[in-house]
Amino acid sequence: MGKDTWKWILTLIVVVGAIYLAYPPKEKIRLGLDLKGGMHLLLQVVTDDAIKMESDHVVLRLQDLFKEKVIKFSRIFREEDPKTIIIEGIDPSQESLIKDAIDQFANEWDSSISGDRVRLTLKPNVAVYIREMAVNQAIETIRGRVDELGVAEPVIQKHGADRILVQLPGVDNPERVKRIIQNTALLELKLVVKGPAESREELLKDYNGVEPPDMEVVKSDPVKSRVQGYYLVKKVAAITGKDIRNARVGKDEFNQPVVNFTLSNQGGKIFEKVTSENIGKPLAIILDGRVISAPIIEAVIRDAGRITGHFTPQEAEDLAIVLRSGALPAGIKYLEERTIGPSLGMDSITKGLRASVISLIIVMAFMIFYYRLSGLNAVIALILNMIILLGVMSYFKATLTLPGIAGVVLTIGMAVDANVLIFERIRENLRLGKSVRASVPEGFRKAWVTILDSNLTTIVAAIFLLQFGTGPVKGFAVTLIIGIVASLFTAVFVSRMIFDFVLSSKKKLEKLSI
Amino acid sequence: MIEFFKTPNINFLKYKYHAFALSGIIIICGLITYFIRGGFNYSVDFTGGILVQVTFKENISTGKVRALLANAGLGDCTIQRFGERNEYIVKVPLPEKKRGELEVGTEEQNVIATKIMSVLMSPEDRKKIVEGFVNLNAISTSELKSLLREKLSEEEAEKVAEKIMKYRNEHKGIIIDFSELEGIGIDKNIVEFLKSKTFLGSVAQTRLEAVGPRVGKELRKKATLAIIWSLLAMLVYIAFRFKFQYGLSAVLTLTHDVLITLSFILFFNREISLEVIAALLTIVGYSINDTIVIFDRVRDNLKIMKKSDFEQILNTSINQTLSRTILTSLTVFFVVIVLFLFGGRAINDFAFTLLVGVIEGSYSTIYQSCPYVLLWENLFGKRHHGKK
Repeated sequence: MGKDTWKWILTLIVVVGAIYLAYPPKEKIRLGLDLKGGMHLLLQVVTDDAIKMESDHVVLRLQDLFKEKVIKFSRIFREEDPKTIIIEGIDPSQESLIKDAIDQFANEWDSSISGDRVRLTLKPNVAVYIREMAVNQAIETIRGRVDELGVAEPVIQKHGADRILVQLPGVDNPERVKRIIQNTALLELKLVVKGPAESREELLKDYNGVEPPDMEVVKSDPVKSRVQGYYLVKKVAAITGKDIRNARVGKDEFNQPVVNFTLSNQGGKIFEKVTSENIGKPLAIILDGRVISAPIIEAVIRDAGRITGHFTPQEAEDLAIVLRSGALPAGIKYLEERTIGPSLGMDSITKGLRASVISLIIVMAFMIFYYRLSGLNAVIALILNMIILLGVMSYFKATLTLPGIAGVVLTIGMAVDANVLIFERIRENLRLGKSVRASVPEGFRKAWVTILDSNLTTIVAAIFLLQFGTGPVKGFAVTLIIGIVASLFTAVFVSRMIFDFVLSSKKKLEKLSI
Repeated sequence: MIEFFKTPNINFLKYKYHAFALSGIIIICGLITYFIRGGFNYSVDFTGGILVQVTFKENISTGKVRALLANAGLGDCTIQRFGERNEYIVKVPLPEKKRGELEVGTEEQNVIATKIMSVLMSPEDRKKIVEGFVNLNAISTSELKSLLREKLSEEEAEKVAEKIMKYRNEHKGIIIDFSELEGIGIDKNIVEFLKSKTFLGSVAQTRLEAVGPRVGKELRKKATLAIIWSLLAMLVYIAFRFKFQYGLSAVLTLTHDVLITLSFILFFNREISLEVIAALLTIVGYSINDTIVIFDRVRDNLKIMKKSDFEQILNTSINQTLSRTILTSLTVFFVVIVLFLFGGRAINDFAFTLLVGVIEGSYSTIYQSCPYVLLWENLFGKRHHGKK
């Protein structure tokens, strides 16, 4: 061995390290959704919703403020484009007063006054910020819900500006999961002014058919509510989902599933005040803009409440989950969804493994047949390559997908290329009548440039794949890249070491088995 | 020493115009096929739409499946047998005119998917559902667990539920008869209980993919760009390591490879999916491998064979690397054919693309990249190493 001792030690460390990392492969190698089964969802956050919310909030604030400061106006409203608010019917002589008010209470908006109209537009950087916050908050909310569902190793990632990628391995009830994730779960408790009534018109009879500014008409939920109709409620919610600390499923006196909730300290204080002032009046429980029930406030309530309605046990459970994890700041749309049943994954693993083993055997047999003992050298390099490939994959927590297995198979075929290049060069040298001891190092030296060039280009192509690819395709690029890099080590470094060992162990060497 | 070729001396470049003609004919036929078929057969990844994979209890013919779907007004779908005679894939791409519309989500597709499943059910299944039975071939683990809790303790319910689900997963997602459950050691009373509450649906869904139009469009763009960028990167890399004309020839060869492979995809009416694009990019990486090995030899030989003319040098280089080209192509060919034959239906299009690419890639290295360099030298490079 002598001067090559460090090479043996290095090789040993790499191989033992790889085995340690990858053994047992069943536990250490992460399988992709296509092999394990599960759900892949690409969601779009409708960030316009968050902007709308902000604008509506500002509209309400300005209305109050203008009244307070006795500023004349006929109408304040948000335009179709939620980034614009219009104030109509102002008195131009109050211009400076209006400017002050806006600067003070809506400084995130640019304003321009022309005649009796003020036009407010949300500053672009603020709009970007609101959108970003909405997406981040949505991710947090979804993460909370997924955790509640008990999914192991979920992936929840921001994907571009307003998208979220959700991957849930092992999920076998996709419809329910999708519903839970998408549920906005905006819970509001609002005091009922009037209702339930048969129609909107009936409710608004006393108000000349127009909703008063501080009230709104809300419809009952067609499925979950036991009473159907319309309610006139206060616009400002007494309590919202934000004030909820916890929610649990329970049973009511008729043994029907209900959701019990407890309020946070602050929410509790507000609720105590509201209930004490309104005993005997109904309070509407509104979920996503639909009344679920409107129980009468019978006593002062401090920090607990109950939602009753037409729920199956599962629906009650799901409602509790979404209430615990909080409301989504904006609506969500599914852009792409892929559900792979676990049975399909198992089938793919079996077939993929079979293909890998058969390939390995054929290539090994071929190399030994063609290159004899040198072929055995290449086979050892190939086996080490596979071990290192698995080790590196588990180290980087890379996922193995079905195309990824194909990448492994392809690596088996391509990794021996380096050996072939080297062996062919050695053979050429031998043919020219050079000695074995001279031919081997020269073969390695000459082949090296070629190996490097050809492998680098393959890696370049694979990197583009990585950029382009989604889940499974990415898995292919990953195994291919790792396999090729590993082959540089095994087919060049390790093979050379074995050759040198054989050459130095024999005093006289006239023939090389190649 | 086993050798395929002792010292080969074949005048490959003599046939360069034959090769150009052959490739030209294939590509033209590919173009004609393209127009006859009205374009590629894209997967739902690129068109948007849905893919539903199902396993039936019993074998069923493609015609029967088609008839069932057509009766429900789903005549536009593609039906593919997936390996066995009871496994099928049903695909409904989004109609062309709808792809441009603003609707971006997958709501509509999900409605179609639900419709497909209900159409494929047997009349008995439907009767059972109306009677309030639960489909044991569609139930989720948690639902099965809560059902079993009526008879068993929490712990036992979980154990039995998982056992049943594992069995179902190992059998293509479908349980054919309740007796199978007794066979895996489920208590007779429990099986009786399940019989009273559940039924074994005649068809099970094993995969559902729904792609919205926006994502489909984006993926199409991304795929095209990935191929173009990787070709450009090759051009830069080789132009940098060798000379510009080598880079250009390599990229022309790769473009040729992609076109030939696409032609074969058209001839055999294979589907262009994300995986197939991955295979195309792999071919690009693989074919360049071969090309570089020969160019590398040319670079060497230009220094050694100063007296010879350029065509001679090219021919010698091809011959010197011939056994390597054949050997590596063979090992790669072996593994790809194994993938093609034993890799399963799920990656068959992918394996097919690789198979075409590997065979065609070795041919193009010899018969495209070298002739291109030769043509360039004949046109522009006489000063350097033309015939003297």
